[in-house]
Amino acid sequence: MSSFSTGLSSKLAIISAIVILPLNSAMAEDPTVNRMIASQCAQCHGTNGYARGSFPDLGGDEAKDQADHLLDMKGEDRAEDMMDHQALGYTDDQIRRIAQYYSTLPESGDD
Amino acid sequence: MSLTRRNFIQMVPASAAALALTSGSTAKAAEPIHHVTVLGGGFAGCTIAKYIRMWSDGEIAVTLIEPRANHVSCVMSNLILNKRLKTADLTFEYNDLQLKYGVNVVRDKALKIRGPQKQIRLKNAGWISYDSLVVATGIQFDKIPGLNYKNAPHAWIAGGSTNKLRNLINKMPDTGTFVMTVPKTPYRCPPGPYERACVVADILGRRSGYLDGSGSTPPRVIVLDANPGIQAEKSTFTSAFNDLYGGIIEYIPDAQVESVESDDPNSLVVHTTQGSFGGDVINVIPTHGAQSILRRSGLTGESRWADVDPVTYATTNTLFQDVYVIGDAQGTSQPKSGHMANAQAKICADSIIRTVHGQSSYTEERLQNITTNSACFSPITYDKASWLTAVYSYNPDTGSMALVPGSLGEAHNWSTRNFNDMFDWSNNLFADTFK
Ligand SMILES: Cc1cc2nc3c(=O)[nH]c(=O)nc-3n(C[C@H](O)[C@H](O)[C@H](O)COP(=O)(O)OP(=O)(O)OC[C@H]3O[C@@H](n4cnc5c(N)ncnc54)[C@H](O)[C@@H]3O)c2cc1C
Repeated sequence: MSSFSTGLSSKLAIISAIVILPLNSAMAEDPTVNRMIASQCAQCHGTNGYARGSFPDLGGDEAKDQADHLLDMKGEDRAEDMMDHQALGYTDDQIRRIAQYYSTLPESGDD
Repeated sequence: MSLTRRNFIQMVPASAAALALTSGSTAKAAEPIHHVTVLGGGFAGCTIAKYIRMWSDGEIAVTLIEPRANHVSCVMSNLILNKRLKTADLTFEYNDLQLKYGVNVVRDKALKIRGPQKQIRLKNAGWISYDSLVVATGIQFDKIPGLNYKNAPHAWIAGGSTNKLRNLINKMPDTGTFVMTVPKTPYRCPPGPYERACVVADILGRRSGYLDGSGSTPPRVIVLDANPGIQAEKSTFTSAFNDLYGGIIEYIPDAQVESVESDDPNSLVVHTTQGSFGGDVINVIPTHGAQSILRRSGLTGESRWADVDPVTYATTNTLFQDVYVIGDAQGTSQPKSGHMANAQAKICADSIIRTVHGQSSYTEERLQNITTNSACFSPITYDKASWLTAVYSYNPDTGSMALVPGSLGEAHNWSTRNFNDMFDWSNNLFADTFK
């Protein structure tokens, strides 16, 4: 029984290693670095991504959607809007980190 | 008298009250693990006070020292001149910092910093010890012979001076002459002086009827620039000066102010390297540097600004341990803006928290991800604005912040949409800084 159980757990370990790999590599990142980069959006999008006025909130967005959105702006043929230029200021990895950070915050707050 | 950290907390009644509040709300532990003293409650100082409290989960105590009861924002203050805004709209109290974040706000003025002893001298409280010190005291103007701010307000540190300039413009003849100067770079808010020229040209151009054709005599706005050319949003301001305000604005580069006649309000003259210019109103914005407390204490060295390492914003003067300089007072090549002061404050806050926790600010991962950014909206007319933006990134090879290619952008034209965005932008910046 014990060998079975050992076998099962090692099998599970292999499976989870495969499945969780991207998550693991994300978790290996220093979360305070992601917070530091993301905080640079707060001047326009509010502390913790809760914006005032018509500027979009960032908190609680799906990480992939937000990253894709920023990458689209970065890829514009001709930068027009302020956000096109802002997006050009970040590496793809930084954009992914920013999106990842805001996706972990609640959608709305009192800030 | 030299006081310990704990003494300092206890000596000021307001601070004790604020800390008590903090412990009840955000602080994890009753006894903070470290105490950061911040000098200056403007864009840089308020942002770092708030973010250290927020990001340290209340573990780090923050005392903010500011001589004024509240802060009047320079950002948007040109709109006081054309009465789109009142000073009250741009006045921020320190209540939120105290009540929401548990920042200990002390009304006092810092006079001197002693690096080796880790002490500061305050006007009222005398000598105080600090664990870490953040200097965010903004700018100070150079002295100009003959310049009397009573008759020639600068309106470059917002408040009473801005109101005075508005009142003088209000009273001047519709087709009179307004003379203003642009300080030598680096100065606070690169597009700001050109934006001011446009706002004043718009006020007088409409009042005189020159802009809508109902009046034939143009008012004059003479812009005396100490620099060889327009320093920001060049295409926007060139076309505003030449086309929109052609006949009103006269732009004169390489005009360095030598002296001013301003004791008699009826005889106001600016003497420059390009000649002398008399006006009904003169607005001399002197060349500036960091506040004299930095110079007196030895933080500026030979330069007008404090040299810092942009990984941490610690001073490069090794006599000063755990001393950081952020905002307009620091001497990196990043633009001196409120948006940027806020950006730098967050990098510095992160670094201080790391240091307190015994973590390095120089991990490769962090070095690759130090970014700041700036945005400025400039009113060009009563209801149209332009904008300017840029992102900076740390370059480990040079040890400095560098403009990221492609990120520098300016509006293709001035528009009402930009004008409306300007209010959303500034409200978010104000909230992220003061609330
Ligand atoms: C007309 C105008 C328009 C502008 N428009 C924009 C814009 O559109 N966007 C933008 O991003 N920026 C803009 N700026 C620039 C922006 O206002 C400054 O860059 C910003 O205020 C710098 O922040 P700071 O914290 O370094 O200094 P400040 O905000 O000036 O704060 C310094 C604080 O330190 C205090 N202090 C001074 N000496 C001491 C002392 N000895 N002890 C304790 N406290 C002290 C002062 O009272 C003050 O509260 C504009 C500026 C002007 C003048």
